[in-house]
Amino acid sequence: MMKRNRKREPLRFGTVTRSLVVCVCVAVSGLCYVWQKNAIYRLGDEIKKRETALSSAQKRNLMLAAKLAQLESPVQLEETCQQYNLSLVAPRENQVVRLYEPGPEWDVQMANAPLAPQQAQARLQPRNSQPRTLATQ
Amino acid sequence: MTLAPQKGRALIVVGALASVFTALGFRLFDLHVLQHKELSALAQANREQVVHQQGRRGEILDANGNPLASSLSVRIATADATVTAPQAADIAQKLAPLLNMDVESLAQKLSGQSHYVRLNQRDKLDEDIVQKIRAMKLKGISFEDQFVRSYPNGSLASHVIGFVDAEHKGVQGIEASMEDYLQGQPGYEVIERDRKGREIRALRTEDIGPRDGFNVVLTIDQMVQHIAEQELEKAMAEFKPQAGVIIVSRPKTGEILAMSSRPTFDPTNMDAASADDRRNRCISDVAEPGSTFKIVVCSGALNEGIVTLNDQFDCENGAFMYAGRILHDAHPFGVLSVEEILFHSSNIGAAKVALRMGPVRLADYIHRYGFGHKTGIELPGEVSGIAHPLAKWNNLSITRIPMGHEIAVTPIQMLMAMNAIANNGVRMKPLIVRSIVDTDGTTIFQYRPEQVGQVVTPRACQLMTAALRKVVSPEGTAPKAALEGFDVAGKTGTAQKVENGQYVSKYYSSFIGYFPASNPEISILVSLDDPSGGAFYGGSVAGPVFRAVAEKVAEYLGMEPQTPRPEVSKLS
Repeated sequence: MMKRNRKREPLRFGTVTRSLVVCVCVAVSGLCYVWQKNAIYRLGDEIKKRETALSSAQKRNLMLAAKLAQLESPVQLEETCQQYNLSLVAPRENQVVRLYEPGPEWDVQMANAPLAPQQAQARLQPRNSQPRTLATQ
Repeated sequence: MTLAPQKGRALIVVGALASVFTALGFRLFDLHVLQHKELSALAQANREQVVHQQGRRGEILDANGNPLASSLSVRIATADATVTAPQAADIAQKLAPLLNMDVESLAQKLSGQSHYVRLNQRDKLDEDIVQKIRAMKLKGISFEDQFVRSYPNGSLASHVIGFVDAEHKGVQGIEASMEDYLQGQPGYEVIERDRKGREIRALRTEDIGPRDGFNVVLTIDQMVQHIAEQELEKAMAEFKPQAGVIIVSRPKTGEILAMSSRPTFDPTNMDAASADDRRNRCISDVAEPGSTFKIVVCSGALNEGIVTLNDQFDCENGAFMYAGRILHDAHPFGVLSVEEILFHSSNIGAAKVALRMGPVRLADYIHRYGFGHKTGIELPGEVSGIAHPLAKWNNLSITRIPMGHEIAVTPIQMLMAMNAIANNGVRMKPLIVRSIVDTDGTTIFQYRPEQVGQVVTPRACQLMTAALRKVVSPEGTAPKAALEGFDVAGKTGTAQKVENGQYVSKYYSSFIGYFPASNPEISILVSLDDPSGGAFYGGSVAGPVFRAVAEKVAEYLGMEPQTPRPEVSKLS
């Protein structure tokens, strides 16, 4: 009797819907999991590629730095000068003009030095109206 | 009636199935529960791979940050010779042109018994060559990245820098003494690979990166070093000595700007270097210093107030009998002042000063100047030299030691002694390592100039400098060492060599000087072992080399010649 009654019982919409929702949720979760896993692997591959590229760039950088050091070495520079017959020589002492850093000694001497008319004029003007230059110090 | 046999058969089948499933169940229980630990570890070991990474060795930099030694990553080809041996000749034929190697030597490498043979040691393999070799699909051939040491300046300062062995460990020079700082820390990764052998990055479980070694900054200036080496090379060509050294330093701080030694070697080609070539003669060779040692006895005597520069000594016209032996001068001199004894370099005069000083005080000054002890420079292989204790002196020692006999010193000891006089009597420890920095340039450790002690008073040093300035004057022993624009103080040395316990007609010619004498910035030692071609006196052999080095170093460092400074008002 019971079996017969159950067969005759119509499908309940709510039950079907709930089942479908559960199935869809499970399917979506599964798909999401697979998609995420794929994304992780894909990003892993990307990271690996970037790591390889970074490593190659660093190695290349080291190579270039070594090459630069070699090119800048005094021995190499001298050889290059000779090879291209550049006749480069160090300047003689009389070709060198040495500039001295202004220090306290400079300030004292400049304060006591007689001023040119324009400089005297400039010294009379308020300091903020005249840009401070070496000549007016 | 018919059910009974069927039931029996069914029971047998069910029983059999039950037994099989029970057995399977037990096996599964055994595998998953009882042997879980061992088997999971085995599975993990099969799946995972630990990849070790080498930390990059730190660089050695000069005082201006120019690399003197650095490590480069290169791809090298390796072989499992046990796999390649049967086809060694064939593989060698294919690989030799690509690896730029000789077929026979390559075949020999490929036919050994080792599981790991490096095929190309230093030459970098380009990626296209790697791809070509990979395309050949040769069994037993693989590739790996490895660091190799590069010396961009070739043999420049090779004795200071040193070199590394095949395992990338320092063997000599700074490479060895600073090994703890230079070596990098290795890292490792625990990875999984796909069936093509590529790493699955997402499954990397551990990633401990390697740490690069620290960089070592030296006080050596590669340009000053180049000047010293260039001039030493010229001197070697001109005087053809067996060996030669030049050291350039700053007397006030003890910083070594250049340290050059000949014969030399190329650290990138160690196979061609003999043990003799590799020796840093500046710190490991001892020799009798000759007349340069007179600075010790004279400064000591001046410091004690035993003599003044004007005190007169009879130099016996070149032959002085003492303790039954005659002591000679190179040229006969009559009565000389202490100042003249120094700039004429009279052996008899120096001996008489020492006799007035007494052996105890002389021995004390030898000790104070640091002879018989290592200077403590940060280089391996330094020796102490030979300075006999007073108890071992004989009757002649008091007259022989002042002229640089019966004592053996290293060039660095002699330079540091001269530096003490240039530095108002303060002896400095030689400084060759300036700092240790990490790869970002942050200073980890700073080496500072270190005073060893006050050897003599500044007053005694002033008197010594006054006398030593005359050494480069026309009446001194080294007029060829005089510089235009700078006053130089220095001392020549011409020491006879000892072979088989006898003095022979071979000489160590040396000159040690500093300039500007009034405010010393640079000191230079030049020493040539057995110069040939007639000239052997320190003043005529080492003096001109000193001058050549000093002129170029002064020019390079922008040292202002001691000419009157221009009036400030003229500039305005």
